[in-house]
Amino acid sequence: MPETREEHPTRERILDAACEQIAAEGIDEVRIARVAMRAGASTALVHHYFSTRDELLAEALMHSFELAGDDRFGPEGDQAEPGSATERLARVIDESMPRPGHQEREWILWVELWLRAVRDPALRPIAAQLYGRYREWIAEAIAAGVESGEFEPCDPGEVADHAMALFDGLGLRALLEDPAMPLQLAPVRIAELLGPRLGVEPGLLVLERD
Amino acid sequence: MSPRPQIDHIRRPQILDAASQVIAERGIAATRIADIAERAGTSGPALLYWFESKDELLGEALGFAEQGFYDALTDRLLLLERPAERLRLLIEASVYDYDWTLWMELWTRALRDERTAETRHRLDERWRNEIEREIAAGQAAGEFAEHDPPGRVAAILASLLDGLAVQATLGDPGFPPDRIRELTVEIAERLLGAELPELDEEVLEGLSGPQLLAGGERG
Repeated sequence: MPETREEHPTRERILDAACEQIAAEGIDEVRIARVAMRAGASTALVHHYFSTRDELLAEALMHSFELAGDDRFGPEGDQAEPGSATERLARVIDESMPRPGHQEREWILWVELWLRAVRDPALRPIAAQLYGRYREWIAEAIAAGVESGEFEPCDPGEVADHAMALFDGLGLRALLEDPAMPLQLAPVRIAELLGPRLGVEPGLLVLERD
Repeated sequence: MSPRPQIDHIRRPQILDAASQVIAERGIAATRIADIAERAGTSGPALLYWFESKDELLGEALGFAEQGFYDALTDRLLLLERPAERLRLLIEASVYDYDWTLWMELWTRALRDERTAETRHRLDERWRNEIEREIAAGQAAGEFAEHDPPGRVAAILASLLDGLAVQATLGDPGFPPDRIRELTVEIAERLLGAELPELDEEVLEGLSGPQLLAGGERG
């Protein structure tokens, strides 16, 4: 584990516990006492790190997306992985879907954030920041393909807007187990829309899975 | 508890109207049954005579708000003949005449409550069918390309509108509602190989403006 994460192991543990609680029961049901119990800390200790419940919730959501972001956007993420820009975009699509496991959990937190940010103006700058980072991650993958000549010339930011809306809209339905948009089908539909736009065979934008 | 509360003076639509207002303003978690009762001019027990729980009220209130939306939409659709124009109107209405906050409530509750999930599915299906009908009509009339089945295009457009509404609500403050419309129209035109023409002022008049944020903080 990197050193920065060991500096505040208790704080991290509390944030992880809060994320688990949000994912399991919804943000509105989160109680400090239960988070403390789950983290093996006292309520007083939770209050030592986070002065209010809202602060804890905001920090917990940020923490979750930062961890996910470090995996994806950090130096260990996409840039370092070998492969073409097409493969990179296929991974972006795949990682944006609510696959069972940690991606599904992040997705639930993501939807909780939407609602929370609508209600709480203080959270909007954080949401906007997360969205900005997400958009950049997508746009960079597209720009890389345009630069390498794999994709047709386009405005990467604009295609990223479309892509992000498709990820959110189709991913949400897959998360809710909507029969109109099963999880296996969502990336296929996304690829069918983005492929022609970029001049890429759609099948190449879908990661093979067993 | 009294055997039967005084309910004769109050009607379901009044309660649902009050519920949709209060929930949109505060969120369901912060809404108490008593708040809705007060807004509707009735009592908590009277309200619980009609509805078992807040989740049920949310589902019913959203259904009620949706019905209002469809009624207004139907009137406008009557002014238009071509499926391309009618589809354009569906897109415009969902951007400019729609309150997304109740939907966001519904999405988060649907993650954990099966009945709410069913309600969401039912309401979403109705909306997709509305879009699908115009696409099928356009294909039958030879106005739209036929390479994609209408249901598939409808699912994509409905999903796209949800995703864009979230983006406009939460993302960059520079993401105006007009942009949702532009991006959706662009994809629809590409999928259908046809132009969705701009509509006359007369048809759009009175669409109540972007309702993407709760509590009067509309961008």
